[in-house]
Formats: sequence, C-alpha cells, structure tokens
Amino acid sequence: MAKRLNIALAGNPNSGKTTLFNAITGARQHTGNWPGVTVEKKEGVVQFNGHQMNLVDLPGTYSLTAYSLEERLVRQFIVEDRPDVVVNVVDAANIDRNLYLTTQLLEMGIRVIIALNMTDVAEKQGVMINARKLSRLLGVPVMPTNGKKGAGIDDLLGGALELAQTDPPSDENRPIRYAKDVERECAAIESEIHLLPEAYQGLPKRWIAVKLLENDEEITKGVQGQPRSESLLGQVRESRHRLRDRFGDKPEFILTNARYSFISKIIEQSVRRTMDDRATVSESIDKVLTHRLFGPVILMTALYLVYLFTFQGSEPLVNAVERGFSRIGDLAAAVIPPGPLQSLVVSGVIDGVGGVLGFTPLIAFMFLAITFLEDTGYMARIAFMLDRILHAFGLHGASMLALMVSGGIAGGCAVPGIMATRTMREPKERLLTILVAPLMNCGAKLPIYALLIGAFFPGNKALMMLALTVISWAMALLAAKVIRWTILSGPDAPFILELPPYRVPTVRGLITNTWDRTWMYMKKAGTVILTISIILWAMMNFPSLPEDEERQFVAREDRITSAFLSDPSVARVFKSQGDIIRFNAAFRQLEDANGQNPEGRKPIFDAVATAIDDAPGMADGEGNRVEASLDKVAEAYFAYTDQIMALNGERRSVQLKNTVGGQLGLALETVFRPIGFDWKTCVALVGGFAAKEVVVSTLGTAYSLADVDPEAADSLSERLQKEPGWNPVLAFSLIMFVMLYSPCFCTLVMIKKETGRWQWVVFAMVYTTALAYAAALAVRGIGVLLGAEIS
Amino acid sequence: MKRIPNEEDCDFCPAFPAKECLSDNVVPLSQFKPGEKGVVFQACGDSELRLRLMEMGFVRGSEVKVVKHAPLKDPLEFVIRGYHVSLRKEEAAHILMEKPHGRFDEVT
Repeated sequence: MAKRLNIALAGNPNSGKTTLFNAITGARQHTGNWPGVTVEKKEGVVQFNGHQMNLVDLPGTYSLTAYSLEERLVRQFIVEDRPDVVVNVVDAANIDRNLYLTTQLLEMGIRVIIALNMTDVAEKQGVMINARKLSRLLGVPVMPTNGKKGAGIDDLLGGALELAQTDPPSDENRPIRYAKDVERECAAIESEIHLLPEAYQGLPKRWIAVKLLENDEEITKGVQGQPRSESLLGQVRESRHRLRDRFGDKPEFILTNARYSFISKIIEQSVRRTMDDRATVSESIDKVLTHRLFGPVILMTALYLVYLFTFQGSEPLVNAVERGFSRIGDLAAAVIPPGPLQSLVVSGVIDGVGGVLGFTPLIAFMFLAITFLEDTGYMARIAFMLDRILHAFGLHGASMLALMVSGGIAGGCAVPGIMATRTMREPKERLLTILVAPLMNCGAKLPIYALLIGAFFPGNKALMMLALTVISWAMALLAAKVIRWTILSGPDAPFILELPPYRVPTVRGLITNTWDRTWMYMKKAGTVILTISIILWAMMNFPSLPEDEERQFVAREDRITSAFLSDPSVARVFKSQGDIIRFNAAFRQLEDANGQNPEGRKPIFDAVATAIDDAPGMADGEGNRVEASLDKVAEAYFAYTDQIMALNGERRSVQLKNTVGGQLGLALETVFRPIGFDWKTCVALVGGFAAKEVVVSTLGTAYSLADVDPEAADSLSERLQKEPGWNPVLAFSLIMFVMLYSPCFCTLVMIKKETGRWQWVVFAMVYTTALAYAAALAVRGIGVLLGAEIS
Repeated sequence: MKRIPNEEDCDFCPAFPAKECLSDNVVPLSQFKPGEKGVVFQACGDSELRLRLMEMGFVRGSEVKVVKHAPLKDPLEFVIRGYHVSLRKEEAAHILMEKPHGRFDEVT
C-alpha cells in the first residue's frame, strides 16, 4: 500500500542542500515562511516507486545547539513534526565540519540517511571518500549524490524508502560513545528521567540526558515542569559538577570536543587525501577578488552593477507595468462617469495595484542579482571586505547590500532594500540594518531634490547631489551607532563567517529562488500595500468641498465663461459653451499628438480654429471664409483658459485643504513653524507618506497649480522661487526633512513583514521623523547664524 | 603582553578557571600573520562564543592556517579542517594556540 513519507533535508549552509532539493522536487515545490519568522521554508512533493514523499528543505545550520533561529527551527521541526527520515546533506569537499551536524542528528535517535554531495569537487581537491566504510562507521546509509547533475537521486530516495520501513536506530548500536565518565553520568541522568516532556516523547531518553548534561536551555525548561523533575535536575547538577571536576571544563565543551574526536577517527579510516595544500581554483580566484587593492575596486564595481541591474535592468518592465496601468486607468476613466467613484477606481484601486506591481520587477531583478551573489559565494566576500567599516557603526559586513539597494547610490528603493536583509543571519545586526536603510536616498526622494535644487541652488546641482549622498550615509551610520548604543545595546553577535568556495550557480537555482522570493513579496506585502494606498487616497480626497463652496466655484466659472462668450470678437469661433468644449477637446488632442510645440500654443490654436472654421455649421452663417487674423480670438481664448486653470487650481487647493490630509497639514503647521514649513508644505509631507515623490505633486496642488509632473516640475520651481518665505535655507531644510522623515508606508509594511513587530514600525516612524525635524531645524539655525534672511 | 583582549571576559570564561590562559605557553590566534600555521590549544570566552567557535572546528588539536587579512586588516581569513572561515580579530583573540617554538619570543 502506498504510504506518505515525510522527509526532511538537513545540512550545513553551502552544502548544496537546496540544489539537491530542487533536483529532487523539480517544479513541484513551493516556498513559504516558517510560522512567525522570515526564514524561508521550502516544501515539495515527489512520487517515487508508488510512494508519495513530502520533502521539507530545512534551513542550513552548522549544528543543533539552538543558539540561532535556524538551529532552533531545525531542532523544533525534527522534534515536533517527526519526519520519517532525515536526509543529511554532507558536502564531501568539506566533510570534517559537515559531520559535526551529523553527529548531533545521530544522537537524536532518528532515521538518518546521508547524501554525500559534491564528491566530484572533493575528488578534484584530492579528497577520496570511501562511502561504504563511512556508512559502516556511522551506522547509517551513505549515498553519493550530485545535486547539480541530479545524479544519485534515485538511490537516495530508494535508500530513504527502505530506511523508513525499519525501526528507528536503537540506543545500543549508537556509533558515538563518549569517555566512560561521561557515559556513566548520562546513564545516571537517564535513570532519573521518569517521564519525558510531551514534546519529546518518542525521542530517546539518552538524547534528553545528553542535552541536560550540556545544560541545553530549551530542554532544561521543558523538563522543569515535569513531575519529580527536582530529583532529575539535582542529578544533572551533580553530574555536571562531577564532570567539570574530572575534566576541568563544562560538559557542553567536553562533548563538542569528543564529537570532533569521533569525527577525526572516522575521517582517518574512511577518507584519503592525496594532495594537500595545493591552491584550489577557488583560492586563486579569491586572491584577486579579495586582493588588498583590486578587492575593494571589484567590490564597488560589483555593487554598482547590482544597483544598475536592479534599477535599470528592471526599468523597461517597470515602465511597461506603469504604462499598462495608466492605460487601464484611462479606460476606466472613459467608462465610469467623473466623480468620487471614478476617482476611487482610477486613483485609489488601479494606481494602488499598479504601485504594488510596479515594485515587482524591481524586486525580482534585485533578488536575481542577490541570489547570484549568494550562489557564487561572492556575498560572503562582500561581508568579509566591508565588515571593518560597518562593524564600527554596529552593523555587519552583510548590511552593505541592503544599504546600497535602499539608495546608497542615490536612486534606490528601501522596499527591496529591506528584503535584501534576508541574507543576514545575525538578528540584531539585521534589525539595525532594516531600521536605518530608509534614511538612504531612494529614487522617490530625487524629484523633490531636483525641484528644490533647481529652484534654489541652480549653479551647484552635481555638488549638491554628492553632498546629499554623503549626508544620507552619514545620517544612516550615525543613527545605526546611536540605536546600537541605546535600544539595541548588548554584545555583538560573534562574527564567524564561512567563506565558501566559488561556485557556478545553476540556472534553475537562480530562477526558483528569485521567483520564490518575488512571489512572497507579492503575496504578503501586496495586499497590505493596496489597502493602505486606498486609505491614503481617501485621506487626500475626502471630505470633498461643501456644496455651497462647490457652487461658488461653479458660479465663478460660469461668470468667466459668459464674460468670454459675450466678447463679440470671439463669436466667430465660440458661440456657445458647446463650442468651447469641442474646441478644448480638439486642442488637447492636437497638442498631445504634436507634443510640446516650441512656438507655443498659437500655431495649435490656428490649426484647430481653421479646421473648425471649415467644418459645416461652425462657419458663420454667410459661409464666409475666415480671412481676418485669428490673433484677437486666440488672445482672448488663452486669457480665458488661463483664468479657468487658475480657478481650477484654486478649487483643488481649497479642496485639498478641506480633506483629512489637508486638515492634518494645517494642524502640523504649528508643529513645523520653528522650521518655517507652512500648511502647504506640511500637507505635501503628509502626502509623501504614500510615496515620497507625491510630495512634489501635492505641493503643486497646494500651490494651486495645474497637474504637476514630478519629472518636470518647472512651473512649481518658478512659483516657489517667487513665493515669499521660500529661500535656499528653507529649501535645504525641506530637503533634509524629506531625506530623513518617516519611511513611506510601503517601506513600513516591509519593516512589519521582516521584523514581525509593529513596535519596530512605530519606532522607525518616530525616530526618523524626530531626526528629520532636528536636522531641518539645525539647517535653519545654521542658516540664521550665517546671516541668511528668513522671513 | 596582554593575551586576552578584555580580562573581564576571563571571569566568565569556563575554559580556564585558574586563568592558566595567561601563561606563556599559549598565543592568541589574532597575533598570527598571513601564511602562518598553528595548532589550536583552546577556545575561550563566554559560553556562546566558545561553543560556536568549537562547533566550527576550533577544538584542541585542529590545525589553523591564516590565509589573509581583509583589505582593511580586519577581519581575518583562516583555513581550518579543509574549509575557509573568517573571524574578526576580536574573535580570533579568543582562540589560544599552542605556542610554536622559537617564534613570538621577540613579541613577549
């Protein structure tokens, strides 16, 4: 009868475990997270000899001591989920250290089969392993495999199937035996274990005894609640004391030593090394890549390439997505009559979904680049070379990548940047990186810089951008240092970083990993981002203007229109409101088709007017051709449209002021008075919470301008130059504030997803905004000291 | 010569209750230069660091070779038990090596 088998893959990082997992499961796999944490959990199904096998790829770990999150997860999975068989993937080229995990798995009394992986690489390095002998010495089946070529998989699965039908290994046949004194104490503890804690039932008492002897925190806690645990814990204390006296060290270290002695003995008998000390290809590559001089140059180039690949490589796709959504938006606008519903669908939902999907190519490209760096082994070298600098600020060498992607080179994005911290294993350093990454100059802040630099520092554009890059780095590193001193104080995680041999990544590995991580983003962050973007849209649009005010605007518009129509000189072209609407439509169409006309609006006007003049019914009653110049009409028409535009701008500005966001901006004006931000700036900053580039368009609306394109905000720039109260000092204050203040909500959603806690989201919002306020105020203070005139 | 980066560490270090680590027979790995080899005598320091180092193969009798510094002198790269690993000087100072004969005398 077919039976479902649960199989778990355990092994060291860099042992080729995931490549082997991909080779076994092919496309029938999916990735999720372990409950409550962001460590990835890959599962897959495979049919073998009529049996269904469920495979789980456990996180790569060096041991099962449960110091790190990954180690705890692996141990918990084995203890609680009880896989039928654990496949222990062992890197043949690095067998010594890989066997350490094996010794711990063997002690758990579970069915273990070893996948001796990458024997070809080992043989090239002169490491010959006698698999049969190794199997005999360890007391478990050993199957040579090659994950890259997919070799040995049938034997491995066959072995696992066979093993699953046997009894779990018995205590008497265990291969690892410690010194007599240790064994005696183990036995003494075992005899005191009357009842296993529920979670550990089915696991051998001996394993519990060893863990107790090692003073394992989890197990000790688990035992404490058990009946008659006092005598057991007393025995443990006594045993630990005796061993310490006997060996002069704590049992956990004695046992670690003993496991390595066991490994040494096994290696001696089953492994033959024919060459030694000959530099491998990998070591020769490393001589160049981490060279004292070339290393940093190559590193900077590599980081720059990752950056280019992520942002420019994905650009066509991002643009295509944006174009697609703006087309859908136009379509919806054409179908749905203007009003709140249209605005909700177009500006709320479609723009929101577009925002989520717009990030997707970016994230996919970034993960492809990062997976490539990880799989080749270069990622570890990045951490190795940069740790000296970043560690000085409480960060980790591996933080670099996240900071670069977030905008270390101006123009990144903190959303993928925060996801990039997934490559970090040190929890404290990872959290710190997540918290400071949003201070970098992401792409959305650049239009604001461009606007303000263009308006107030037109002579020093390049210098200003360079200064802003340096300032954002300085702020991020400073913030890291301060956070590390205060709320994240405590000792550094030990820096023990394996530098794996360089390898050529597999295409399948790259694609699967990139897809998995991108999909996770879409699934987990996408929905939240969509919801919040609709809420923010509502905040910036509601409540709409009170009806009487709306009526006033309509009345004013009517007055302007009737004044225009009553001008006898325009009557030849414009007789009624219908004529104006038709003319406007034709004008806009021609303008769109011709693009920006350097000679201004006049030629377009002439073309439209002539065309309409020819049309039947539009020409004057006597059928006379228009001979006189249209100059006068054009002049009047342009004066009219400018008036209408100004009125619309005013209406939008008043409307914005009336919304929740506008009211918030007004309320904030008091708070920001010391820096000199008025309600218009404040409401723009509120809008920037949705996405920083929105600051520009909201500022435009607040200043009663027609639609402001963030990429070409010339009109706004001119307006600000003329606006009283605006000066270089205020502009620079605003630049600093925008650089540092609360991350946009997409970034905050990522912070929640990656740290798992709202408290860090709140912290990130509060500390960045406080920092921004202080910096903006400092700019003003310095400006005053330098004698700038501030109104 | 002070062998341990921070003597306070020793108070919590279970490796040498009698502080024999301060004797002249051991040299911390952090004082090794690129290209030099040695044999581990004992990893010391607080329990977590010590256990992690030992689990990565820094147990008594393991041979360690210093490969190189990072471009900014820290961290260091080592080969131990057939693989490459990087430690900061801080951590390497917690690995006490058997004193090779005839070397380090000028340092002492």
